[in-house]
Amino acid sequence: MIAPKKITLTIDGRRCTGQEGQTILQIAQAHDIHIPTLCYLKHLSPWGGCRMCIVEIVGSPKVVPACSTPAMDGKQVVTNSESLHKLRRSTLELLFSERNHICPFCVMNNGDCELQQQGYRHGIDAIRFPYLYPALPVDLSGKYIALDQNRCILCTRCVRTCEEMEGTHSLDIANRGAKNHVVVDLGATFGTSDSCTSCGACVAACPTGALFDKAAAFRGKLGTCRIVRTTCTECPVGCGLLVYTKENRIVEVFGDFDSPVSEGHLCVRGRYETWAEPRRRILQPLLRRHGKLEPATWDEALQAVRQAAQKAKPVQKAVLVSPRLNNETVATLKKFERVGVFVAQNEAALCAEGDRCPDSMAKLHDADTIILLGARPSHAQGVVAAKIRTTVRRQGAKLLIFHTRKSDLDQYADICANVVSLEHKFWDRVAEVLQDAKRPVLVYGPEAMTPIGVAVLERLIKIFEAKNAGPAPALIPLPTSTNSLKLAAGGIEPVEEVGPWLDLKPLKFLHIVASDEPDGGARLLDERYVRALVEEIDCVVVQAAYQSRLTDLAQVVLPAAIWCEKQGTITNFEWRELPLQAVLPPRGEARQDREILEAVLK
Amino acid sequence: MKMNMSDKPKVKVATVWLGGCSGCHMSFLDLDERLVELVKLVDITASPITDVKEIPNVDVGIVEGAVCNEENEHVLRTLRARCKVLIALGDCAITGNIPALRNQFDLDDVVARGFVETESTQIGEIPSDSVVPTLLKKVRPIQEFVKVDVHIPGCPPDADTIWYVLTELLAGRMPQWNEKNLRYD
Repeated sequence: MIAPKKITLTIDGRRCTGQEGQTILQIAQAHDIHIPTLCYLKHLSPWGGCRMCIVEIVGSPKVVPACSTPAMDGKQVVTNSESLHKLRRSTLELLFSERNHICPFCVMNNGDCELQQQGYRHGIDAIRFPYLYPALPVDLSGKYIALDQNRCILCTRCVRTCEEMEGTHSLDIANRGAKNHVVVDLGATFGTSDSCTSCGACVAACPTGALFDKAAAFRGKLGTCRIVRTTCTECPVGCGLLVYTKENRIVEVFGDFDSPVSEGHLCVRGRYETWAEPRRRILQPLLRRHGKLEPATWDEALQAVRQAAQKAKPVQKAVLVSPRLNNETVATLKKFERVGVFVAQNEAALCAEGDRCPDSMAKLHDADTIILLGARPSHAQGVVAAKIRTTVRRQGAKLLIFHTRKSDLDQYADICANVVSLEHKFWDRVAEVLQDAKRPVLVYGPEAMTPIGVAVLERLIKIFEAKNAGPAPALIPLPTSTNSLKLAAGGIEPVEEVGPWLDLKPLKFLHIVASDEPDGGARLLDERYVRALVEEIDCVVVQAAYQSRLTDLAQVVLPAAIWCEKQGTITNFEWRELPLQAVLPPRGEARQDREILEAVLK
Repeated sequence: MKMNMSDKPKVKVATVWLGGCSGCHMSFLDLDERLVELVKLVDITASPITDVKEIPNVDVGIVEGAVCNEENEHVLRTLRARCKVLIALGDCAITGNIPALRNQFDLDDVVARGFVETESTQIGEIPSDSVVPTLLKKVRPIQEFVKVDVHIPGCPPDADTIWYVLTELLAGRMPQWNEKNLRYD
């Protein structure tokens, strides 16, 4: 590869150096020269639509947008002049006049709005054009996302984000000229859209109050919030979160662009489900007295747990924990006699495989061929799905999917197979598609551990071996449970089927740590016989953040901290250790999982 | 502050309240003790604060509110004709703001909603007395009717901003707007 040529140009009288191919804006920003922007976002492709970043090039009769004009060696650029200021002001005045940008009742008021900020910076006290006051719709049908056309400036940041970050291209611009407007799925609404995943990246990209989070609307000015950086614990991807809080409550959650894993992106689970969903929190210890769960003090509850534990013999006791527990809890868990971590079907085998693939996300990004075996990231690991979509759709990578269940990724696949019906001819085609793979990546989920999955894996490996040329695929294990890989590696037994595990040794004492599982651990009861088995146990202690069918049948309920209250580390599917930073103090009397377990042991 | 100009005649001011909530006049009263200093320099003639209705010839006219009906328009044009400097005070006068929300709907629907269909109305009637000013089809900011010399945006503009503008004008300077003193909300 040839190194890009160095270029030197003059910006506002300053000598600035950069590389050929860089835009004027990039070089100016690298030299701390401020050029106003509106439609530009660093992580998106430039569009050059808003004309705020216009600059003059000495010797050229017209102004050019700095965001999309390549810098040229030896040119003299002026970013700030009386005529540029006038042009930018006119642009802003036109934007203000076109739709109903009425600041006093906007969700984005108080300085969070970039259009408003630009108005202030350009000293706009009133506009010279008549206001159009168009009648425009507001789409409130989405579960989390709202679209107010009155506030839209058509910067297309949402459209580009949807295409370039989430890869679904749910959003686009409809109609021509003054009738331009943002549409979801060719005219559907957020509520009826098939392709929108509610990842919320469009909202994060919107400079005005056009796209907003319903749960965050009017809850506080972001500019005055405390921002805490932590890691999402909803799945094993471990995306970076920026949590905005005010007066000990969450105002909004955004993706962290400094996260090496997610690079600013999130899926619906991390972006919304953790804070925009109503859940019934357990705020104090509960103790069953005369058949009813009643509030108790921590001392009473812990005393009851210890007494019940003492009554049972070591073989009659067990601790079953959620895979959401952090790495620091492993040492505490090992002090218990018998402890298991409940994982998804076939995930135990996946944990035992021992494959570790550092920088999996980067490998997915660079891949020219992606094989997806027994994993369904659109369903379980949204940010991995987004990465696959963008790599396939924007970089032309090939996609091969072997799965028994459909997902939206199927439509982008070169080969998409139900793994049950495979013939010889089919494998010839697979070999053909894989023929030129230079940077192949194989993502395998729990279902790859089934006999059929293993058979497919063996066939694929044979194909790669037969090629004799080109590299073997990077193997990326993709579990569905948050910290299952690390907990299993730490010696905590992965439990796929709770029933047989409970039945192996009849129990008198069972301590279930559901932690902040959204369902409070209730899904354990969905498995056959488990409810009956649990009901037979003398003492069931449930440590959980949310009330559920499981906590309802416990003898003792211990309130656990939730994601934004946790401190420690987790290890993601790339085997990267990621920090959990407490954003808020635990609500009510909730405590950290590890702290509770240590107290029980005393 | 060099505001001691007792030898000079007082600057005459009139203020009017068009289609607005009076919040801008309230904000004007928020000048608090600075009002004492202000009345040493200015005479407030016609104003909702003095309750004087007839607008005399003045130096400065201050307008709160958007132009919603024919009376608003008449008052605005009268003030413009009788003042030297016209100040648009607040967002309604400058952008239409909340009163302009009705621009998205048909006027007949708006009137029916307001006088007949409201939940608390038992027997609604749309006023037809000629004393009641006719509503304009669209609510518009004042600069679409008359020349405005100074705009003070804000909903409402805070007292400090009003003070800044008035003292600058009294000192013979035009107020300068930038990101520190501008506010639209």
